[in-house]
Amino acid sequence: MATIRSHVRVHRSADDVWKVVGDPTRIVQWFPGVTAVTVEDNIRTLTLAAGLPVFEEIVTLDNRMRRFQYRITGPLPVKYHLGTMDVIEDGEPGCLLMYSTEISPDPMAFVLDGVISEGIENLARMLNDHTEDER
Amino acid sequence: MGRKILFITTDQMRYDAIGANGGNVARTPNIDSFAANGISYDRAQPQNVVCMPSRSTMVTGQNVGTHGVWMNGVPLPVESPSVAAVLSDAGYRTALIGKSHFEPLLDPFLRFEENRQGFAGATEGHRGFDHMELATHGAAGFTHYSRFIRKEHPEAIGMFFQVLDGDLEVSDVPGGDSGAPQIKHNAVPRDWYHTDWVADRTISWLDGLNADDDWFCWMSFPDPHHPWDPPESELHRVDWRELDLPVGYPQNQAEREAIIDSKPRHWRLWYDGTLVSNYEAPGKWVPATLTADQIREVNAMAHIENELIDEAIGRVLAAIDAKGWSEDLDIVFTTDHGEFQGDFGLLFKGPYHVDSLMRLPLIWRPAPSAGGGIDATARVSQPVGLLDLAPTFCTIAGVQPPEWMEGHPLPIDDADAVARGFERVTTEWDSRQPDGTEIHLRTIMRDNFVCTTYQPGTVHDGTEGELYDLVLDPLQQVNLWDDPERRALRDELLIDLAANFVEPREFRHAEAPV
Repeated sequence: MATIRSHVRVHRSADDVWKVVGDPTRIVQWFPGVTAVTVEDNIRTLTLAAGLPVFEEIVTLDNRMRRFQYRITGPLPVKYHLGTMDVIEDGEPGCLLMYSTEISPDPMAFVLDGVISEGIENLARMLNDHTEDER
Repeated sequence: MGRKILFITTDQMRYDAIGANGGNVARTPNIDSFAANGISYDRAQPQNVVCMPSRSTMVTGQNVGTHGVWMNGVPLPVESPSVAAVLSDAGYRTALIGKSHFEPLLDPFLRFEENRQGFAGATEGHRGFDHMELATHGAAGFTHYSRFIRKEHPEAIGMFFQVLDGDLEVSDVPGGDSGAPQIKHNAVPRDWYHTDWVADRTISWLDGLNADDDWFCWMSFPDPHHPWDPPESELHRVDWRELDLPVGYPQNQAEREAIIDSKPRHWRLWYDGTLVSNYEAPGKWVPATLTADQIREVNAMAHIENELIDEAIGRVLAAIDAKGWSEDLDIVFTTDHGEFQGDFGLLFKGPYHVDSLMRLPLIWRPAPSAGGGIDATARVSQPVGLLDLAPTFCTIAGVQPPEWMEGHPLPIDDADAVARGFERVTTEWDSRQPDGTEIHLRTIMRDNFVCTTYQPGTVHDGTEGELYDLVLDPLQQVNLWDDPERRALRDELLIDLAANFVEPREFRHAEAPV
């Protein structure tokens, strides 16, 4: 199993960042290649630009800890996956967004590493450029 | 009106694959005619022995350390310089038809422009190419060829070898008659196969040009890269049972393994199936199990694929001739890297800097109208690199090569090569696998020696190396690295390597395994 981790500093409060990260439907605003999203109970379904669906199980949505966890359940060729996003107040200005992934088979780590890094950069840019009310 | 440029590449072709370089199985009369009427380079090397870094060198004219595509899966930034853009700015019509692989192929999120265009069927190109129609080794993925198969011949999708298995690892499913990995008898009709598709699309693009257009067309065949699944209608061309084994395959097991054991230890680790340091080699396959018959059948498949490529080239040349462009046509033929094809008992490629992977076919057939004192039957023995291609294209087009190109226009003969300092060529390998395995090679070839030093990684401590005398040991079976009598030579080569090698400035993230 491979583990990967990306982080970005966002120049907004942890509460502001959590409003986006903690809303599973808003992934379509910042994650590359996602064109549509639906959430029913703890099942999130993404539609990718090529028309492929990605099925996910929401594992944790903890408003107190500002932690979001999910698993990819199909049809990407994933045997085990746990994605974790933490929004952390670390005493510095703004907050830290940490995105960790455990995944098997290993080659999927390459695929997710790049797209996740691009995604959280998009998210930080989106939040830094606009106030929550402007979006 | 200027000279037209047809740049023909294959993928993973050995130096000895073609008749002009001594190959005696595949019939390659069209490619051989380039050599008969042009300049053959007998020591052409890539700057890296896998696709993406090598192809990035071709399009930029830069060392790997400069363009930054240090392993497969690392995309060439869209803003990177491109020889196609230079030629486009000079008024050339530009196209890339076939395999590009400047960006990762495994791209489920469609993050990369080449895949986006292929998926949508758009052909407006980028990187200075004003037309792109892309293909890779089968029907999978988001290339224009996979779209063609999906839309026009969906029944053919399952005919090709399925490259990835359920673990997203490169598959080692055996096939053919011998059970060799990555062979499949492919029921696809020949005119649906990617080799003929590349020629068809090239002819179509050329047909759309005006008679007085200057043009640069990179026609890039995905074969003979594995999987080896040419149309089964063509298997009659070469009977694998009648093939001789490669001279680079020591048939005695003890002798073969002693040769491997004389090399840095990742050679033996791969041979035994303990360490696979290149994603493209099937992760579950153990090279030590490779049989002589499997080597014969793999070679037969490659020869068949090379014959199909040659015939496809012939069709394109006929189309060019019909347009009246032949006299003004420069042809450059090469490949991105080589293939073991049984040498040392191995297949595929990886961090192994020997001639199987590093010595490439390269031929420049200058335009007959060019004249200019070019001896059109020269063979150049001095070393050249694929980074010399881009400045050569500029020179053909009458454009000064930009300063960001690090190569030099190819020499027209050995005297020209010596006069212009073609003394050495360098090749590198860097890889970091998800399990943390790191391997780093730095190689120099000069004065008929190949010298490779290993930087510290997870397999090597930085003291290992390889040194081969290409005159006395053309198969690179005797590693002289630890020979005290060669110590001074080794040190001299390493000093020269350090002085001429461009180290990567950063190791950008791999965005896919391939």
